[in-house]
Amino acid sequence: MKKLSFILSILLIFVVSFLSAEEVTLKMIQVFTSPLRTKIIEEIIEKFEEQNPGVKIELISPPYETAYQKIYLMVSTNQPLDIVEVGDWSLSALASMGKLENLEPYISKSPLKDYFINGIIDAARIYKNTAYLLPNAVYVKTLFYRPDILEKYGIRSVPKTMDELMAFCKYITDPKNNQYGFDFRGKGFPTAFIDLVVTSFFDDIDPNNMYLTKDGKLIFEDPRAKEGLKFYVEFYEKTAPKDSINWGFDEQVNAFVAGITPYLFQDPDTTGLLNELLKNGVYKTAPLPIGRGGKAYPTFGFAGWGITSYSKHKDIAWKFIEFFNSPENNAYWCKMYGALPVDKRVYENDPYFSSEIFKGWAEMFNDPEHYQFTKYPLDNEAWSNWNQFHEETMQKVLLGKMSIDEALKEWAKFWKEAGLVK
Amino acid sequence: MKSKKVLFIFFMLFPTFFIISTLNIYPTIKGIILSFQNFTLFNFNRIKFIGLKNYIDILTDPEFPSILLNTLLWIVCSVIFQFLLGFGLAILMKRPFKGRSIYAGLVFYPWALSGFAIGLLWSWLLNGQFGIINDILLRLGLIDSGINFLSDPKLAMFSVIIVNIWYGIPFFAIMLLAALQSIPDSLYEAAEIDGAGPVKKLIYITIPYIKPTIINTILLRSIWIMNFPDIIYGMTRGGPAGSTNILAVHMINIVYYKNDYSKASTVGVIILTILMIYTIIYLRITESGVVEI
Repeated sequence: MKKLSFILSILLIFVVSFLSAEEVTLKMIQVFTSPLRTKIIEEIIEKFEEQNPGVKIELISPPYETAYQKIYLMVSTNQPLDIVEVGDWSLSALASMGKLENLEPYISKSPLKDYFINGIIDAARIYKNTAYLLPNAVYVKTLFYRPDILEKYGIRSVPKTMDELMAFCKYITDPKNNQYGFDFRGKGFPTAFIDLVVTSFFDDIDPNNMYLTKDGKLIFEDPRAKEGLKFYVEFYEKTAPKDSINWGFDEQVNAFVAGITPYLFQDPDTTGLLNELLKNGVYKTAPLPIGRGGKAYPTFGFAGWGITSYSKHKDIAWKFIEFFNSPENNAYWCKMYGALPVDKRVYENDPYFSSEIFKGWAEMFNDPEHYQFTKYPLDNEAWSNWNQFHEETMQKVLLGKMSIDEALKEWAKFWKEAGLVK
Repeated sequence: MKSKKVLFIFFMLFPTFFIISTLNIYPTIKGIILSFQNFTLFNFNRIKFIGLKNYIDILTDPEFPSILLNTLLWIVCSVIFQFLLGFGLAILMKRPFKGRSIYAGLVFYPWALSGFAIGLLWSWLLNGQFGIINDILLRLGLIDSGINFLSDPKLAMFSVIIVNIWYGIPFFAIMLLAALQSIPDSLYEAAEIDGAGPVKKLIYITIPYIKPTIINTILLRSIWIMNFPDIIYGMTRGGPAGSTNILAVHMINIVYYKNDYSKASTVGVIILTILMIYTIIYLRITESGVVEI
């Protein structure tokens, strides 16, 4: 009996140690940390772990401000890390370090590949035309508006063109009653807002580069850019609160919720916040107004998961990324977080994403004639210097400290020095 | 025997030396080294020494003179008014009155808050459209339309300085109140017998007696204010169009927008150099030599 129990306990130890040796722990780091986001990611991880016994995923959630720094330090010293979150604006920097795995072979074999929304994988090929991450959510700006406020002024139609938007904004602007039209953004990366208006005066923007025309010329040296920028300044001078030169995302949302500025260009993550602050149906979305060039040029903003090139568990890491992007999880993730799903099936299957809130995006996606998606030169090293420079020079123009011509000249000089024009 | 004593001294000093080395000396040296390199998140793998390029870039930046001027304005105005108001408050608080401790708690509480949080709080209070301060002024009929405290370049610097003054008064009040309480009453009594009025007592007794505290607090506060981007960062991020940009905010913006740690370190070294020169000159002028904190 003693002998038997001895053999059994040896066997038990053997089995336990064998099983524990089989357990795989993946380390995963997120960038855009927030309590809500962390909770959702943890829920998806939990589901994955339930379906994959023996796999554990440890989520690292550094504060956003230091997240990239932490990732760079971790990957540059090959510290254990398998799944990395990357945003579009930082993808080139990370990929150029050679620490991200090429995901093309995985994507080409994945059952998800037939259901990605048009252009999203192409948009992810920022660096060397290779996908180093799989986007899990898309951010595209559209027009948010407040029918309740506009109806007070007798405006019942949605502006289809920038000129119409300007006319409506001017019509309702009445500073004495603290009523303005356009929800202006003066600080905290206003680049996309400026560009949406300026490029709408063009009909030939390069689909691969927001700042070039199809014949390879810099848009800033084109007279249409001057017209567009003049128009943008007019939005500020005639239809927006002067204080908005100091407005970032929070102030924009606040002014929209308060009804001070009922027209807002924003990303889908704003819906999460607006749904909390406004009653259902109080705000709506519409496609971006097209400009005098007959078009509008939105960009795909995205974030997604990548795999480190030195990970020992690349296949399991990919399995998780695929799981995260499955239609069910993608729908849950985007609904909770307020982003556009990357899987076409979600738009068809989930009534939330075909509701009126998403009308603006749905119409833009279905109208390639007027809405041509383009890209920022994110792989250019000067990009990281551009945003502050763009913001500061733009503020100078708005304050009358710099002329529109001077600003355009400076911007053209900046991108020429950065080698954007070949 | 002697070597044992030396060993003992070394042993006792080691923790302090270790902490200062790792938390102060190493980061400072690292910062100085970084300022001569090209360390950005874009070229993490290609870091090399580039001589004085960062210094040349920063110092020849057309915005640099205005940043320097803003920094000077920020420090001088903040320190002077924080000191004067803090001193006044300390004198008032020295006299016992009913509810003094509650009042002291209320007066001192800004000092307990985070500078960044204060910046954010005030950016909402001073908002031109939905700020409570504009609302009060409008309701009182003092203004017709909201004042753009933070978006008008002429008012923005003034606004952030006012907030900084509000934030820093408690520091001077606390320090000077402690010093005032150490002045023996007998000195004032003797002066009164000699016929000295409140002004004379202030000039001939109070100020000379607390002079070391005044010198120390002004020196410390100037250094802190120069290194204090929190309020401006929370309120304007240095804008609009650089009108509230000071060196410390410039340093953070370089990291925030450009991820350029080397150029940010260069600004850090410039701040360090300015502060060292300032400290030497200040201590020479005040002739206090080594200050006791």
